[in-house]
Amino acid sequence: MTNARDIVARNVLWNRLISVCEEQANALMRAAFGAIVREAGDLSAGVFNAEGDMLAQAVTGTPGHVNTMAASVRAMLEFVPADTLVPGDALVTNDPWLGAGHVFDFVVVTPAFVKGRIIGYLASTSHIVDVGGRGWSAEGRSVFEEGVTIPVMRLRKAGSLNEDLLSIVTTNSRVPHEARGDILSLLTSNDTGVSRLIDLMEEYELTDLAEVTAFIFESSAQGTRAALSRAPQGVYESRLTLDGYDAPIELRAKMTIGDGRIDVDLAGSSPVVDRGINCPLNYSAAYASFGIKALLAPEIPNNQASLNAISVSAPPGLIVSAERPSPVTARHVIGQALPDLMLGCLEQALPGEVLAESSGALWTIALSGAGKTDFTSLNVALGGMGARPDADGLSTTAFPSGVGAVPVESAEVAAPLIYHSKEFACDTGGAGQYRGGLAQRIEIGSRLDEDLSLSAAAFERLTNGPAGRQGGLDGAAGEVTITDGTAVSDKGIYLIPAGERLILQTPGGGGFGEPEDRDPGAVVRDLSEGLISREAATKIYQK
Amino acid sequence: MLRIAIDIGGTFTDVVAETPKGLTSVKVLTSAQAPEVAALGGVDRLLQSLSKSPAEITAVVHGTTLATNALIERRGAKTAFVTTAGFRDVLEMRYEKRFEQYALDIEMPEPLVPRPLRLGLAERILADGSVSIAPLEGDIDALAEKLRSKEVEAVAIGFLHSYKNPAHELAVAERLRTQLGNDVTLCLSSEVAGEIREYERFSTVCANAYVRPLMSRYLARLLSQLRDKGFDGSFLMMLSDGALTTLDQATRFPIRLVEGGPAGGVALAAHVAREVGSDRTLSLDIGGTTAKICFIEDGQPQTNRRFEVARAWRDVKGSGLPVKVPTVELVEIGAGGGSIANIDALGRLKVGPKSASSEPGPAAYNRGGEDATITDAHLTLGNISSEGFAGGIIELAPERAPEAIARQIQDPLGMEAVEPAAAGIIELADETMANAARVHGIELGLDISSFDLLVSGGGGGLHGARIADKLGIRRIIVPQNAGVGSAVGFLRSPVAFESAISVVEPLDAIDVVHLRSRVEDTLAHVRGIVAEAVPMERIVCSVKVELRYSGQGLEVPLSLPDPDGFEKGFKDLTPRFEERYRALVGFTLENIPIELVSVSVGARERRAPAEDHVLVPVGEGAPSGRRDIYDLNAQALLSYEEIARESLNGGAVQGPAVVPEAQTTTLVRPGWLLRRSSQGHLIMERAGA
Repeated sequence: MTNARDIVARNVLWNRLISVCEEQANALMRAAFGAIVREAGDLSAGVFNAEGDMLAQAVTGTPGHVNTMAASVRAMLEFVPADTLVPGDALVTNDPWLGAGHVFDFVVVTPAFVKGRIIGYLASTSHIVDVGGRGWSAEGRSVFEEGVTIPVMRLRKAGSLNEDLLSIVTTNSRVPHEARGDILSLLTSNDTGVSRLIDLMEEYELTDLAEVTAFIFESSAQGTRAALSRAPQGVYESRLTLDGYDAPIELRAKMTIGDGRIDVDLAGSSPVVDRGINCPLNYSAAYASFGIKALLAPEIPNNQASLNAISVSAPPGLIVSAERPSPVTARHVIGQALPDLMLGCLEQALPGEVLAESSGALWTIALSGAGKTDFTSLNVALGGMGARPDADGLSTTAFPSGVGAVPVESAEVAAPLIYHSKEFACDTGGAGQYRGGLAQRIEIGSRLDEDLSLSAAAFERLTNGPAGRQGGLDGAAGEVTITDGTAVSDKGIYLIPAGERLILQTPGGGGFGEPEDRDPGAVVRDLSEGLISREAATKIYQK
Repeated sequence: MLRIAIDIGGTFTDVVAETPKGLTSVKVLTSAQAPEVAALGGVDRLLQSLSKSPAEITAVVHGTTLATNALIERRGAKTAFVTTAGFRDVLEMRYEKRFEQYALDIEMPEPLVPRPLRLGLAERILADGSVSIAPLEGDIDALAEKLRSKEVEAVAIGFLHSYKNPAHELAVAERLRTQLGNDVTLCLSSEVAGEIREYERFSTVCANAYVRPLMSRYLARLLSQLRDKGFDGSFLMMLSDGALTTLDQATRFPIRLVEGGPAGGVALAAHVAREVGSDRTLSLDIGGTTAKICFIEDGQPQTNRRFEVARAWRDVKGSGLPVKVPTVELVEIGAGGGSIANIDALGRLKVGPKSASSEPGPAAYNRGGEDATITDAHLTLGNISSEGFAGGIIELAPERAPEAIARQIQDPLGMEAVEPAAAGIIELADETMANAARVHGIELGLDISSFDLLVSGGGGGLHGARIADKLGIRRIIVPQNAGVGSAVGFLRSPVAFESAISVVEPLDAIDVVHLRSRVEDTLAHVRGIVAEAVPMERIVCSVKVELRYSGQGLEVPLSLPDPDGFEKGFKDLTPRFEERYRALVGFTLENIPIELVSVSVGARERRAPAEDHVLVPVGEGAPSGRRDIYDLNAQALLSYEEIARESLNGGAVQGPAVVPEAQTTTLVRPGWLLRRSSQGHLIMERAGA
């Protein structure tokens, strides 16, 4: 095809498809309830062709959504066949194994009809604040305790809203009106996307997306292949030990780098546990692929073809491949450790080119009133990112998650809490030629002098700090204590008695390269800024 | 009347004089070390050419990028930051997230105040404004001692929840003032940006303190030298939100000046929009490296209260320092005349954001640039003529344009000729700009097809028609002579000032009487500022609120009647919010409280009524020649009539036609009808509209 107009058109179309998704994701973010969801961009949007293959996806959003969504549409169409859909229909589910790994995430899929024929689908997904069950904690012993699950069904039938279904969700939610609002947002977001898609096809006089699909997939497959080929072929293994709920968990990976593709096998990882930190394979695969892509192919847009070049598998029943009815609420504790596990394999393929380990799982601070006043407050505490091969790690910055912290002032307006301090923690960044990002120390108490309840579900890496690379030292392990002397040691529920405070110190990022190779000027500067102690400066950074 | 506008940019300083006879301008190179030198030199030259003396100047209006450059180049004062003990790292932790999901090599900007100069003080105000810990005098004195020993020039003070209760900031500032004397600059976060969200407020007060010593010295020098020459008129500064303010306010809040230059450009667009009677206008300024978009409604540009300066990493959004000040809401797109077209690793045709700038410039400049740019594409297609390019300042090697495009675009894509490749570059650029406008319009909840498109800058007239087609826009305005747009815009801007109050409470829990008195106090304050330059009877006030469903981030702005109708207007907010929310989102929610986030209060100079504009039909535009231009849609050459703007005189011409001028060329695509307004602006309308 050398027709100039067509060549230009398919380039414009690809850009526009990405823009349509991006727009929908941004609209969803603004309308989402819950500060964390908003800060996090815990959502996504994508455009699919008539076969259910993903053509484009918003880059806004966390990696967990970015890759699970690609599989959702096809999976959902297996339950409701495409030939039964009519204009005005929309499908929904929050099944963790079909959507994004826990019941909080709802996926809505809307077919786009042109002249009575489905030409594609718009899909979007977002985290709903509460769908019942035990709420945000790892205490559920099975997924049945974690909230209401909606199987794949029509959220809208030929234009009329399925109020029966919505009332099942709202009846089961602690915040029914917000839950309804968030689900309706998904629906309108898809509708806007569908009309934008149809406008676009009219502008370019298209009757289907076949040609643009071919262009996107061919280019992406070729580009991904070239990008992955940077890593030498071979088989690489790596392992990682996490604290687990109350006993250590091992994650293992065997990565086979082939001719322009990468296959990962997570066999050998620990089996599922009976608390909600298990991870469905779709979510594990999403984060594992993210780690690989961020290192090797960051510029290539997400679509079916670029994602197909990476496969992640595991025998069923492991903590990385949990099956129903394992509890999965805090699945990010495992999922977000997978990029470091992948980078551990890639370090062997490309020694010296891979960043050190980061603090990993996002520390969710889930506090609620345990005295007279009833409230819940969700925030996150970020640790350090691993040092890069040519730069220090970023301090108090999430990786692999894209979530940022809720401002202290907003958190204190929303809940009767006082943040007493929030500062960098000295000597927590792993020493190295490039230093790991610093962790932080946060002190929180009740404003009302009442008891507080804490879910420690996401406080990970309390035992082992993130590992350094190429001679860099490990970042500091995290530490969580209550001023009454209690040390948080597992992922359960803790009481913070009235008058006491919670003290969190997140993990620091691992260092890169030998500490004695660090630029002396940088050591002096770190010391003068109080980021490292005099002892570290003289003992660790001196030859 | 003799009014002078001075616009100091990074490279050029524009000086414009306005007399009853019209506008005269001069462009000089900016003298970076002492910007007033070149500016005053320009003023002298202009006065000489007009045979006027400085004493005859009635007003000087001034905008400058000096503060912005000081932030980018980190040339500001040695600044300390005094904050609530335990929170000194807020400034460096920022949002605690990566602004690019997939890039592992991003860098965050260095904080303006290094950690050793960020000092905590034991004090605490709670979320409800109540005092938990009052600062001790002894602690403040010890702090003063420390600041003295560190020899800081400026101190920014920012405490938690000071937007709710500024008492501690005020008390600490007062005691520090007596201890440190008047040579040290003190800035309070509650005064500079009294809004919730500590990082953004602290960032703003630090940036203000950082540039204030430099700016106040510079402004004092400029004014005293003007006065020495005999200037006795008024002196006003251009703010980022497109309003003018007094020297005193500009000196206290120099951070409000950062976007003054671009705001001037938008102010001019708004003025032209009023002249031609356009009440919904999309301004698109296409320059050498970027294009800037701004929506203007009823002659008033959209403004925002958040802006980002000094981006630290590849100019990516999120990598700069946030400042919370009123700013014209400009969306900047990496698509201008110098934007480079290339084929990326996936075989996609891409245009921008990388630019060949003016050095080495497009391939046709023949200054060592080998990359194919948008300008090269226009030359290849015949959209612009190589003769008299940019008013004859640049001598082109036009044959280099198709060579570059053939080499870099046509061959790799396997296209049959160079013209379609060039047309593809233009189409991609048009698409990028149109899409950015579309997305921005959707974010603002505007129906973009109901707007007029006002294009300016060197590339405005070239791209306008196709972009309008893509957006469903039916009228395009190409202003007369927009070469020194920003400076002229200063002359068309009103004196105004705005201040915001953070509330964050459910509507039904608000003590309306108390809020009204807070609004009245703020109103008195902003009106007082404007009254320094404008007679009271010519001041109009406005009150705007931002509402949201409690728990959501989508904030909906609505206007409120002035305090006389405050209570009544307050009652109407709920239905008005729901109506607006429904328009934006498609539905409303039940049983979720509506929250008042903030109130912003402004006072501005009433605008003189716009002069009537008439379209004087004085015959058809006479073609002065023809040229063939390749058309992507027709996939063939189309013959365009060449028309001179002056020859139009209100008559109408059917596209395809082209209006070549020294600074820009206007393409009238097939299907468009061209006329000229009495002020000289070109108006294109969709035939049959």
